[in-house]
Amino acid sequence: MDKVFDFRGVSFAYPGREPSLREATFEVAGGERLAILGANGSGKSTLLHLMDGLYFAQSGEVRAFGQRLTPESVERPPFGPLFRRRAGFLFQNSDAQLFCPSVEEELAFGPLQMGWKEEEILRRVGDTLGLLGIAHLRDRPPHGLSSGEKKKVALASLLILSPVVLLLDEPTAGLDPRSQGILLELLDDLHGMGGLTLVTATHDLELLPHISDRVLVLGEDHRIAADLPTERALGDTGLLLSVNLIHAHRHRHGAMVHSHPHQHTRTHDHAHGEGKDHLH
Amino acid sequence: MVRRGLGGLVGIATVLLDDGLAAGRQGWLGRVDARAKLLGLLSVLVATTFLRNLGPLALCLGAAWALAWFGGLDMRRVALALLAVPAFTLALAAPAAFNVVTAGTPLVVLCHLGGGHWGPWRVPEFLTVTDRGLFVAARFALRSAACVSLASVLAAATRPQDLFKGLRGLGVPAAFVMVAAMMTRYLDLLLRSAEEIHLAKLSRSLGGVGVAREQAWAAAGMGELYRRSRTVAESVAEAMVSRGYTGEVHTLRQGRWSWQDGTFVAGCLAFGAALLALG
Repeated sequence: MDKVFDFRGVSFAYPGREPSLREATFEVAGGERLAILGANGSGKSTLLHLMDGLYFAQSGEVRAFGQRLTPESVERPPFGPLFRRRAGFLFQNSDAQLFCPSVEEELAFGPLQMGWKEEEILRRVGDTLGLLGIAHLRDRPPHGLSSGEKKKVALASLLILSPVVLLLDEPTAGLDPRSQGILLELLDDLHGMGGLTLVTATHDLELLPHISDRVLVLGEDHRIAADLPTERALGDTGLLLSVNLIHAHRHRHGAMVHSHPHQHTRTHDHAHGEGKDHLH
Repeated sequence: MVRRGLGGLVGIATVLLDDGLAAGRQGWLGRVDARAKLLGLLSVLVATTFLRNLGPLALCLGAAWALAWFGGLDMRRVALALLAVPAFTLALAAPAAFNVVTAGTPLVVLCHLGGGHWGPWRVPEFLTVTDRGLFVAARFALRSAACVSLASVLAAATRPQDLFKGLRGLGVPAAFVMVAAMMTRYLDLLLRSAEEIHLAKLSRSLGGVGVAREQAWAAAGMGELYRRSRTVAESVAEAMVSRGYTGEVHTLRQGRWSWQDGTFVAGCLAFGAALLALG
């Protein structure tokens, strides 16, 4: 598989602040499903911004599709427009992503910037809205949509460009369970049918098996703590505890009080000794 | 009071921006191209600002209401916008009716002022309503009512997104229209943030804390609102760049005008010219 992204010793800091990413080195192959896992503030969003050429490495090197990402390279044709078409970024806040007066114009925005013909754009708008089952929203203003609808429109505004990679920042945050399910199925279909590369930033361990085969774990020191298959990452309690993704606190079972590492959203069984093993 | 005010503003923004309520889908006026409506109604509105006689102004007001009625618009929505006119007009136009502002033949004597001077100003013997003053006030009130009616007909018959398309179609620079559209787009988000900040404060308050503390809170609230607005603005800019924006705005072209659109514009231009001829 061709490399989609290649990070070599990348560090980044916001002006006047401590680095939010330190010495990140990893690769993403085409068609992969990678999750970037970390606690709040560990640098997940920063990493996605670097991948999308919105921020640029202060040290080290970021390459996308074989080209180095710099402020100049992402603006200059032919690579600039090609890169913008091939990499789509789904922002955590859909309201920030949907800035046009209507859904139709929202979808048309990207292709218009690419200089596509208008007839082609309007045809693709119809096709993409149909694919996501939101053709009825075409003339609606984005601000009046539900959270789930906004997320679908935001995704449609990326898919219309036929991207090769989708960068997803906490894609299910703020969605109700039904909308979450629909979105996950949609992403699964896109990956399965189109071979789309998916890179998802999340701190939701429940989400991982559905969106990733491989996990990049970011520690609270803003360094990559681990790069391993999803199943192994989820089973590594020590790792998850060290990067603040699970915790240990005291709880009571009748007269017995004990503490052990766990997450509240996952069932797990554990031993107390004396034959009192049980399931949480 | 602040909570009610913010809640009210959010409600108004929701109503104004909600495409479902825009009567643009009702009646033939809603089907007229946004560019034609903008051009036609704005030309009548501009003509209205040049009118000096009450008759043509009243005719214009009547025409705006007739257009709303026959155009199949939601009359309650048009009337709602008109409710703001009396308060606004009274505050500005009422003083013009008195002899202290507009000289003229007294029609009604209101009270005895005694004459003399008050600072650099001469005080008349009596406070009266003058014929000329009444005319000026009535003209102001009628002109305001006519202009507001025309503007609300345009707003009620056109969805905001079509209005922006119409502006672009009439040659207004795309960057200007885009900024205006974004301001409209994010208005309700801003108001909702302000409401959230206020409710968060209310939920942790136990009655009055004094004016100074309230002022300090208001300043802090404004600061937080500014911070949130900036965060959203930065994300919007990033989202635009991410989809290929490089500083040059490209937008969809407009469809062609139908003969109904042309007829509407011609009718409006003829009406505006007739109003100007009547003075």
